[in-house]
Amino acid sequence: MHEMSLVQGLFQQLHTIARENKASKVIRLTMSIGPLSGVVIDSFQFGFDILSKEDDLVREADLEIVIPPVIYRCSGCGFSKETAGARPEQCEECKDTILIPEGGDDLILQQVEMEQ
Amino acid sequence: MCDACGCNTHTHSHDHDHDHGHSHSQDQSVIVDINRSLFAANDAMARSNREHFEDEGIVVLNLISSPGSGKTTLLEHTIEKLGKEINIGVIEGDIETERDAERIRAKGVPVIQLTTGGACHLDASMIHKGFHRLQKEPGSDKIDLLVIENVGNLVCPATFDLGEHIRIVLVSVPEGPDKPAKYPKAFTSSQVFLITKTDLLPYFDFPVPEAKKEALDLNPALTVMDFSSTTGEGFDQWLDYLRTLVREKKAAA
Repeated sequence: MHEMSLVQGLFQQLHTIARENKASKVIRLTMSIGPLSGVVIDSFQFGFDILSKEDDLVREADLEIVIPPVIYRCSGCGFSKETAGARPEQCEECKDTILIPEGGDDLILQQVEMEQ
Repeated sequence: MCDACGCNTHTHSHDHDHDHGHSHSQDQSVIVDINRSLFAANDAMARSNREHFEDEGIVVLNLISSPGSGKTTLLEHTIEKLGKEINIGVIEGDIETERDAERIRAKGVPVIQLTTGGACHLDASMIHKGFHRLQKEPGSDKIDLLVIENVGNLVCPATFDLGEHIRIVLVSVPEGPDKPAKYPKAFTSSQVFLITKTDLLPYFDFPVPEAKKEALDLNPALTVMDFSSTTGEGFDQWLDYLRTLVREKKAAA
């Protein structure tokens, strides 16, 4: 629901980064969007597409999205299971149902390619 | 960042990951590794809020739930029962209207309303400004317990740290017991889970032990309570919980 404002925040950061690198155009940027970040990827992409049209710096930029996994660690036996986000019903090893998610909850600007 | 109000705000000390180094030049294009969270600005402001609340010796709660779970009613009854022994202040968050703040103001405690004008959650910067507005309200100079009532929404508020000490997620009986499974982040990021409107249990299919188990499977550290604000059944455990929080904060000061 707040993806538009997150994209606006991203663009502010990109303007700062472009200034620091004396760049006039962003060609490509890589965002890591965690499955548990509360960010809907389609909405983020949509917001990016709409707002980039109004911004000369990012108008032609390609948005690359990477999705990191979530690791669910069993609180009983410590067994960890990597998933695309979904929480396993129970631990594969000991059948415990208390699984603690680790990672996959952030929204990170990883890399920017710019033209100077 | 906060020269205007003179509070002890975050001085932008670059404690977050902020190196813009490591660039590779290729002809006229440059690739820069940033690796910075888009939530970093909010998180930095939230840390500064928390430091400010610590300096003031205030315990801060962030209430999150769906619309209509009974956050404002919980607050009204809490103020009625505890208002004489604990100085409570309230920041109300809603998309529109002053209605919730008016309900709380009628109970005689300092309150301000934040209207987000469409935004689905409160953020740390709104709380920073809101707290300064609250400090201008009569009676706000000795607040022990600040309660922030977030915008009714179980999704977005879970992502935004406001600088609170305790995040509290509410689910009311008519909403059904499957909220933890559907909205996990609200439960994994909270410290307390309240099941409210338990006076309606005879009329709804809401197995309390199952709802508790689902939430505790996600987050075993949750403190779970169930009660009815309106009938008062089970409400004492909540009041005692708040008394303990405030007492411990004062003892630590």
